[in-house]
Amino acid sequence: MGKSRSIKKPGVKIDMTPLVDVIMLLLTFFMLTATFKAEMSENIEVKLPKSLNVDTTKLPEKDVMTLTLTKAGDIYVDVDNFKVRKEVFGDEFGIGVYHPDSTGKSEVETTQKIGGKDVKRKVIVLNREKFEKTLGDLRVALKNMTQNKSDYKIVLKGDKDVDFGVVEDLMQSLKDTRNTRFSLVTDIDAGEPGKK
Amino acid sequence: MADFDFTSAPVKSRQSLLKAGVRIDMTPMVDVIMLLLTFFMLTTTLANQQVMKINLPKGDESVPVNMGNVLTVRVSEKGNTFFSFGKENGSESLPEKIRSNEIGSRLAKLSAANSDLLLILKFDRNMKYRTMVDMLDEINNSIPEKSRRFSIKKMESTDVEIIKKAGD
Repeated sequence: MGKSRSIKKPGVKIDMTPLVDVIMLLLTFFMLTATFKAEMSENIEVKLPKSLNVDTTKLPEKDVMTLTLTKAGDIYVDVDNFKVRKEVFGDEFGIGVYHPDSTGKSEVETTQKIGGKDVKRKVIVLNREKFEKTLGDLRVALKNMTQNKSDYKIVLKGDKDVDFGVVEDLMQSLKDTRNTRFSLVTDIDAGEPGKK
Repeated sequence: MADFDFTSAPVKSRQSLLKAGVRIDMTPMVDVIMLLLTFFMLTTTLANQQVMKINLPKGDESVPVNMGNVLTVRVSEKGNTFFSFGKENGSESLPEKIRSNEIGSRLAKLSAANSDLLLILKFDRNMKYRTMVDMLDEINNSIPEKSRRFSIKKMESTDVEIIKKAGD
């Protein structure tokens, strides 16, 4: 009797340590990759405007070309594909910047920062002509890589306090390059429209 | 007697098995779950973004429109909204200042009265982007998708004059 108890007792004490170790490793892995990606793609912080839109269309998950408009009036062009970035910007973490106001320079050029934060990515300064060419180049690069299967969905992430003039210039560039379909990224507003 | 002992022994050992089995130390598991929870809480904050679709008319297409169906909406630098109704002969009515809380209801009424309504939006360059999103939001919410037609045009100095006269 005493013997059988002493045999069975250690068997039921399940050692959780290896399981916990594996889970911890997985967790660390996911945490590191997640912050890594976020650091690279969410580098530019903008305060989005709010909207109360009845047809709630969600932000597409892949093949997104993001045009970020910062408060300083700069337009950053970025895509979510490493290979396309490598081909067009010459760097896997390349990002293009275009300052439509020809009298000034972009924030990156003057302060080496974006939105007051240090830049971790390679920034390519574009003028209007180059900017419009880049929009086309990014498209072509993706189409070539996917055998015409994918196309970019353009999303515009504008800071709510950016001047409309910048948006107007950007829309003109989009129109000139025949990109007439795009989306504006907004935050959901739970309140009444017109009371913002 | 020996048989008796044999059958009673496994019963007791099963009981001891159950007793020992319930003593699982949950602390490490809880720790991991807490970490996972923190992780997901931190990463899912960006999930509530939504998009507003815009479909601009292609620049090189010139579509003849009946000016009678056109409503020109001008928004000044200060964010004041003015409606001007187009007339058949190509001219337009004097701009009318619209209070921001009435824009939606006015647009809904106009669209219900005329399903061919075409909006021409003119925004001042120095206006905030937020104001434009608010205006597009009002349009999206008050006009059904079928009859929602608008285009964005450049605001000229003449437009600025017009709305200044109307009390901007």
